[in-house]
Amino acid sequence: MTIARGALLVLLPVIAILALTRRRRLAAIIAMGLFSLILAGVYLLAHAPDVAITEASIGAALVTFVYVLAIRRTGRLVVVGTEVPGLLQREGARVGGLEHEILAGFARHLGLDLVVRLVSREDVVAAVAQGEADIGGGGLVAGGCGEGVLETRGYLPTAVFRVSRAGQRDVEQRSDELARGYLNDVTDAVRGGKGLDVSLDLARFVCVSRLDLSGYVVNRLPGECDYTFILPSGREEMQRRLTRYLEGLRESGELDRAVGRHLT
Amino acid sequence: MRRFSMPFAVWATLFVTLFCGLVLFAFDYEGPRVDSLGLSSESLAYDTGAANLVSAIYLNIRLYDTLLEVLVFSVAVLGVHFYLGPRGVEEQVEGIPESHVIRTSAGLLLPVIVVLGIHLVLFGHVSPGGGFSGGVVAASGLLLCAVALGAEAVGRRFHETFLERIEWGILLSILCLACAPLALGRLPLTDVLPQGQVGSLVSSGSIVLYNVLIGLKVFIGTWVIIHFFMRHRGEI
Repeated sequence: MTIARGALLVLLPVIAILALTRRRRLAAIIAMGLFSLILAGVYLLAHAPDVAITEASIGAALVTFVYVLAIRRTGRLVVVGTEVPGLLQREGARVGGLEHEILAGFARHLGLDLVVRLVSREDVVAAVAQGEADIGGGGLVAGGCGEGVLETRGYLPTAVFRVSRAGQRDVEQRSDELARGYLNDVTDAVRGGKGLDVSLDLARFVCVSRLDLSGYVVNRLPGECDYTFILPSGREEMQRRLTRYLEGLRESGELDRAVGRHLT
Repeated sequence: MRRFSMPFAVWATLFVTLFCGLVLFAFDYEGPRVDSLGLSSESLAYDTGAANLVSAIYLNIRLYDTLLEVLVFSVAVLGVHFYLGPRGVEEQVEGIPESHVIRTSAGLLLPVIVVLGIHLVLFGHVSPGGGFSGGVVAASGLLLCAVALGAEAVGRRFHETFLERIEWGILLSILCLACAPLALGRLPLTDVLPQGQVGSLVSSGSIVLYNVLIGLKVFIGTWVIIHFFMRHRGEI
């Protein structure tokens, strides 16, 4: 009995230090629950079963559940994005791609769990502008996302291509207006030979160019653009941290290696 | 990365070492014996009818303290109402569905947890447990479901205003139960019900009633507080 109590008491500071040093919030919460459970064991061995039951039910169960419910929103880095092959794409049941790799690394850096939701392009900007998501991605080009959101400095240069059906070139369209909706809509339109007038960034254009583009006019729009991430306005601190993280990736050459893995 | 100043680190280390040392060297302390406090455990059980001496103390000998504790809990629920009510209902964010494993295990565990809570409440005067811990156990079962299914899905099954009325009704009944001896010409807070045989379910007079009422109150109050936070702030 004495040995058991000694062992539990030695475990207590170890678990406490474990709980304090975890970067991931969920791990820290579970360590705290474990601490309460061990403390309940100590109380039980000290002939205080009533206190042990209360400690186990409040410390190990109730408080742990309250914390788990609380971090469901704050402990996640919620990313919304459009599906773009190479950048942000479904790989079976998971999500992969260059942007996913960058943001997964950034989430680890912050000690958060990454959650990616794939939506249409308008929904990306709307979700970020309303603060429902922490970061928006999926082949967004710098300068083209409108008001109400913050942009990070571009992390990868791209070109913008304009694809239009011959004879429709008189349609007025702002050159910075990128493909709206899902990429699938564009590819379906090309497959069906329907009328089309869209601007595509490099990753999307590579995808479309694998189809038969005869009958379409392709122009490379002048000027260089950059891929970027967007954040809700008021999240300047997060914007600074993400920009600094991206610069760190570029300086260490990690970004170039990731580009090589995903885009070639 | 250095985040703490040097004197702070030294004092913190010293304090933690002292505390750990104290805890580790005192680990064969057995705690105060009931007999040495001038109370005999047999006479305490005989006087109150409760085999669990802790219940005998806080629901009979020191009932006045417990009544104030219940009042403190009610004031906490009232405070949550008062400050969060005027904020209006937060727009609901679409819940993130949990995995099938968690949802299924929550469904399996909920009846077991609730039965354990009811057992702790009903047998609080015979074995370890009581209204406070039993109510919290049942409420954590409900919270487990809130984690698995989403708080709103669980909240829809309860009629909140009805629950709140029950809660205030329980507080009223506890106070009435405490004052009931006045009607018989006895002092308030004394136990007028028969004590029965020590160790059986129907024993220890009004301690069982207090346990049931307090258990229900803690169960409802805990759920109402947490659900209020989630509904009016969007998060805890």
